[in-house]
Amino acid sequence: MSGAASGARVPEHTILVKGAWPSASDSGTPLPEDGRWAGGSYQNDYFGLTLRFSARWQAGLEGPPPSDSGAYTLAQIVPAERFRAGKAGHLLITAQDIFFTATRANSPLELVNFTSEHLDRSVYRVEEAPRQTLLGQRPFVRFGYQSAVAAMHWTILATEIRCHIIEFVFVSTRPQSMADLLQSMDSITLPAAAPEHDGTDGAAQPLCIRDYASAEHLLERVEPVLTEPHLNSIPVRIIIDAQGEIRHIHLLRAFADQARAITDALRQWRFKPYVMDGRPVEVETGIVFGLRARAPASSGS
Amino acid sequence: MTKLRIVLYVAWLIVPGSLLAQTDPGVRGGAINGQAGATATGPLPLASVSGGQPQGVLQFFENGLARFQEVETVGNSANVGLGPRFNMNQCSACHAQPAVGGSGAATNPQFAAIANGIVDGSTNSMPSFITAHGPTREARFPFFTNSSGTPITSSPNGGVETIFTVSGLAGAAGCTLAQPAFALAIANNNIIYRIPTPVFGAGLVENLDDSTLLANQAAQAGNTFGIAGTFNHSGNDGTIARFGWKAQNKSLLMFAGEAYNVEMGITNELFPNERPLPGEDLAAGLAAGCLNLAGVGYPEDATNFEVTPSSNQATQNAQVPGDIVMFAEFMRLSMPPLPATSSGPGGASAFTAGQSLFKTIGCAACHTPTINSTQASAVTASLSKAAVNAFSDFEIHDMGTGLADNVAQGSAGGNQFRTAPLWGAGQRIFFLHDGRTTNLLTAIRAHASSGSEANDVIENFNELTAAQQQDILDFLRSL
Repeated sequence: MSGAASGARVPEHTILVKGAWPSASDSGTPLPEDGRWAGGSYQNDYFGLTLRFSARWQAGLEGPPPSDSGAYTLAQIVPAERFRAGKAGHLLITAQDIFFTATRANSPLELVNFTSEHLDRSVYRVEEAPRQTLLGQRPFVRFGYQSAVAAMHWTILATEIRCHIIEFVFVSTRPQSMADLLQSMDSITLPAAAPEHDGTDGAAQPLCIRDYASAEHLLERVEPVLTEPHLNSIPVRIIIDAQGEIRHIHLLRAFADQARAITDALRQWRFKPYVMDGRPVEVETGIVFGLRARAPASSGS
Repeated sequence: MTKLRIVLYVAWLIVPGSLLAQTDPGVRGGAINGQAGATATGPLPLASVSGGQPQGVLQFFENGLARFQEVETVGNSANVGLGPRFNMNQCSACHAQPAVGGSGAATNPQFAAIANGIVDGSTNSMPSFITAHGPTREARFPFFTNSSGTPITSSPNGGVETIFTVSGLAGAAGCTLAQPAFALAIANNNIIYRIPTPVFGAGLVENLDDSTLLANQAAQAGNTFGIAGTFNHSGNDGTIARFGWKAQNKSLLMFAGEAYNVEMGITNELFPNERPLPGEDLAAGLAAGCLNLAGVGYPEDATNFEVTPSSNQATQNAQVPGDIVMFAEFMRLSMPPLPATSSGPGGASAFTAGQSLFKTIGCAACHTPTINSTQASAVTASLSKAAVNAFSDFEIHDMGTGLADNVAQGSAGGNQFRTAPLWGAGQRIFFLHDGRTTNLLTAIRAHASSGSEANDVIENFNELTAAQQQDILDFLRSL
């Protein structure tokens, strides 16, 4: 909810009455949804990701807030205005937080397999079965399918960063346009370290560990008091510093009163320091408050 | 070249382009709701209801349909309780297109309310958003205002600002009420509109178990369109709510009870007290002179303990419940619209191609064509284990700044809307929650704006050729 704006017209095309909405405990720590388009590049500091494009491309419309199942629309890249008539295709960049996924997919391959298995075969035909590949030094999963009736092709490149599955979804009706779009991936800059579910993604990134906020690792836990029954699932990512204190809280989707209560409670949590290679390190993990997520769908692996 | 030849040549240059451009074919003619035998005042019941399974159910449908068309008055008639504030005096006045139970008609009956004596023109004026051939509407103010009428954006309102008052009508001599300050709200951009949702086939929607809706959601979780909706829930029992523009209503009885009170000002067994305007109840509420105008006490609509004896037991039974129960029965037992698979615009080939394209580009990720299936029904056989071809997932989705109305309902925020069911879209006139357009193409494109889950789908739509887009429009007008 925005502050009072007495004396003014309600602004046009502005979302003021927000339901469950993302928020964070500080403005200095990058968030997955804070990627930006600047100077012909898409840059996302949270994922350490930069992707440069030729002058033929520009940022499309901003996506929705992250979902309560940890799904992000990071960016849409579309043809620049003067190339719009050419139907040159477009690129959608998404992220799926592995900690909150509704698919149970634990890896890029599992998520892509899930997608493949749930494709409506009455309208789609698989062109490239999901397969592992390398882009630079980073493992990706590549998958392609097409629709004959729309003469449309999809190529998906998926990789994992910080326990998120990042998908680059290329869509085009023309093979040459698809090739041009895919070429933009040659410019991609990603974190140096190899991704692992419980590994690091670059020296500066915290270690991401599923279900780390358990009794085994917690020294002190204070439950938030949620007074309003909003009946929603509240996914929360936290970063625990090397001393075991929570230094950053990211609520993917929570009502304002829930965000306050959860943040107040989490600030009182204390963890045992996580030691790796003989020294304490930062850890990033996920917690779900509120209505518990439904039982996940069957795995696509 | 003569002048005539020049004109013909220019016309030749223009016409082929025009023919290629995609256009909404408009409201589909032919059988109402795609159902042989349906009429504007006689929408059909489900097959098992027509067949009298169980015995007496058809009389309940017919009684509910009749009550849906009853004209309500302030007092002194068979159907009393109207007001003290109301948007219209008859369910079927608003739910009219293409038949009783549908959405708004081409001619808005609200506009004629003064001329027809439903409203007193000396005490009420027609707001500018109600026009002769515009959408039938209710209005809401997203924000409360200060004493000068200036919106305070830290104070959300969102409740219905009922358009008309009973002041000046027979039976309301002691009730002096002013209409909400609509002109000021319009000047301050502090007003949004809603149009009636069609109710055909609603019993099937009501009879979907939560597990079925959740399974459909889970199956879509791996979609590559950036779509990830959620559900609104009932504050009463925590289960998934599914009726209304934001899926804020749990059941058809709740839907009927709320509408009877909010839209027509008739208290009932679910909403037994007269409803002041939002904010009015923070002061003194409604004045005593505006209460119990019907003189029958409260609730104005209730169970009829004394009914007219009939030789037909079922007919007599159907007289017993209050109106809201019978409205719910009419909605629950009504047949859903049927698609014109071969007789729609573009014929069978456009229907097939359009349906495939609709799925291909991602429309079906939210507008699920079919959800299988309803749970066993204790009401009638046609509601049991039936496919629901509603073209909706009944989730609420972020729809961006272009559609956001800054009204929160239940868990749905100001930017979230239920996926509007598309069955019957072929014979609807007005589209989107506020009825801002009669053009399907405009409605489709309005799905894209900053913050919308549908942006990638609309980008896919824009990738299609004009002929392919036409197939989708033809397909939708076949529903």
